[in-house]
Amino acid sequence: MDPRERNWLFVLIAIFLVFNIITLSPLVPWQKWLLWSKPTPDQTFYIEYGDYEIRLPEGGIEVKVGEYVEFVATSDDVTYGFGVFRKDGSMVFQQQVLPGRENRIIWKFDEPGMYDVRSTEYSGPRHSEMYVPDAIRVTQ
Amino acid sequence: MKEIGWTEKWTLRFAVVALLFLTLSGFEGMLMRTQLYDKDALHGMEAALNTLRPGVGEPTTEELYYSMLTAHPIVGIYGFVYMAVFGAFYFLVPLLLEKPLKHKKLVPVNFWLQIIGVMTCWAAGFFGLFNSLYTLYWPLPVTYDRVPVWGSIAFMIGAAIIMVNILLFAFNLFSTVLSANGTRKYSFFQFLRSAFGIPRLMKMLGKEDKSAPNLDYNGLPVFIVAVGRGSIDTVINALVLAVAGVVILVYGLAYVFNSPLNPDWIDPLLFKNVYWWGLDMVADGNALIYTAGVWYLLIPLLTGRKLFGANVVKTVIMVDLLVSMAVWSHHLLGDTSQPMIMRLLSGQFITWGEFFTMGLTIFASLMTVWLARPVKMTPALKFALGSMFGFMMGGVAGLIQANVGLNVVFHNTQWVVALHAHTFLLTGVGTMLFSVIYALVPMLTKLEFKSKALVDAHFWLWIGGSVIMAYAMGMAGARGMLRRTIYEGGQYQPYSLVAIIGGLLASLGFLAFLINLINTIGLRNVLSLFLPEKWMGGEAAPAQA
Repeated sequence: MDPRERNWLFVLIAIFLVFNIITLSPLVPWQKWLLWSKPTPDQTFYIEYGDYEIRLPEGGIEVKVGEYVEFVATSDDVTYGFGVFRKDGSMVFQQQVLPGRENRIIWKFDEPGMYDVRSTEYSGPRHSEMYVPDAIRVTQ
Repeated sequence: MKEIGWTEKWTLRFAVVALLFLTLSGFEGMLMRTQLYDKDALHGMEAALNTLRPGVGEPTTEELYYSMLTAHPIVGIYGFVYMAVFGAFYFLVPLLLEKPLKHKKLVPVNFWLQIIGVMTCWAAGFFGLFNSLYTLYWPLPVTYDRVPVWGSIAFMIGAAIIMVNILLFAFNLFSTVLSANGTRKYSFFQFLRSAFGIPRLMKMLGKEDKSAPNLDYNGLPVFIVAVGRGSIDTVINALVLAVAGVVILVYGLAYVFNSPLNPDWIDPLLFKNVYWWGLDMVADGNALIYTAGVWYLLIPLLTGRKLFGANVVKTVIMVDLLVSMAVWSHHLLGDTSQPMIMRLLSGQFITWGEFFTMGLTIFASLMTVWLARPVKMTPALKFALGSMFGFMMGGVAGLIQANVGLNVVFHNTQWVVALHAHTFLLTGVGTMLFSVIYALVPMLTKLEFKSKALVDAHFWLWIGGSVIMAYAMGMAGARGMLRRTIYEGGQYQPYSLVAIIGGLLASLGFLAFLINLINTIGLRNVLSLFLPEKWMGGEAAPAQA
């Protein structure tokens, strides 16, 4: 291998290491609980999908800032997505909702406020209707 | 135009049809961009086109949008890219190997079957409103209250035709590469062992098989090594997609004959894993390997200098093949049901293998150009360098989303489809294919492109427009705008507007290219590729027997 090519390979290895170390570390905040600490959730909410509907738990979803919340999403027909969005439309997190499985994700909210839920996976022509504004209330 | 040969004529035919498919795919893309800006903007056009759709009643805007979204990538990838690759490879492989194609009769078969297959898929969307998207997430394609059954059946027949055709093409390429050319011939099994580096591994373990061919060092041109190894991905892709298509077809036919099958017989996560494993062989397999091969061929040809690190890049192609077998999980990073070890290893770390292979590929190509200074910046070289920029930009975006942490906020957003996929396809692959056309047209026709100004306009408008479009939608994705979603109420309108402007600029660039191409070859000569000579009424360019 030409020395210049070898040096370039070292540069590529350095970029690989730096990028992956940073993005696997708690510098990406949710990696702390999604990848490393696996905390016991303070609350668990079950969300059911089916026939283009997102069915939230009776009584709604109310959580506190800083507590660990587990969302368990199930589907009784096709694949959907469970996405949580801020009021400005930016995404907080999401997961796919595969039928026949309990699709679980743990989250910790760091800002109080109201959050919307939208299906993030295409499920048929009426997919875009699957939007629940103000689905989650996060309090101090 | 000078009299051209049989192979040259077929290559030009493939190229012309590929460009027509790019036009159709681009037009669909612009229509969908317009609907993302204003969902109701195309109501007049929809009403007019509905008169051409018998028996479907009054489809909703959403049904039409998602049907178009389903057909769009099929036309773009299997229409434009594959047709261009068929034409280019059918000319270049025999030329570089200095032996004829093994099965010449398959060339027109490939030509027509690909057109029939792609247009069947397109018609399944346009007339049959098939809207399951190319992802075919189980059991959506067999959920017939959402996806019309006849549309599903037609789409799967079209897909099956395309996949069988691709297998025929790969068979013809392998037969040609492996056939005897006065020295020796290889069996397919020997070739396969060599492609995966098994003889080299055996040598390292002290069990050298001296009779085994060595793809890296037996004198084959680098381009042929890339075609051979990339075509393994092509075959796997076609086989997996054909099997998935047949399964869906069987469900459709059973439904039509009042014996519906139970969708629960197939596990959605298993289907998704197998399907993406095969589907990803295009995006992360043959597209990268074929592209690398084309750069390795064109750069030395255009600069007049031997490829820098030629032996290393042959190994890089082998690593690319191995990596492509194990990266599919980056499409399942949003699936919390997928084991975390799979998401980390296959989805993230092995995917970074492509960073190394493409990094070394681009380095070898750029070093070749650098060491060949001063170089003449021909249209083909300019577009080859532009395509490298596209792969770098799309590759970086891809590595950001193929990350178990960052994917949480990028999965299924416009970031993925715009900044990664469309940058790869338009700025990367599209620009590379233009480079091939700029290089091949003078070789095939002995004619040089007439207008340098139009070449420059094509280059800057195409690159600039596609980057503006991808960047605008990528930023919308970073702010939460989903792909595969049509929004009510004009959300993300400023981003969509900028994307439309970018798309229009790229379209203008493409138009400049078409004008230059037709002006160079002559409209009459282009038509003579398809119409009988007697219709042309005189001196068209006859093909040599």
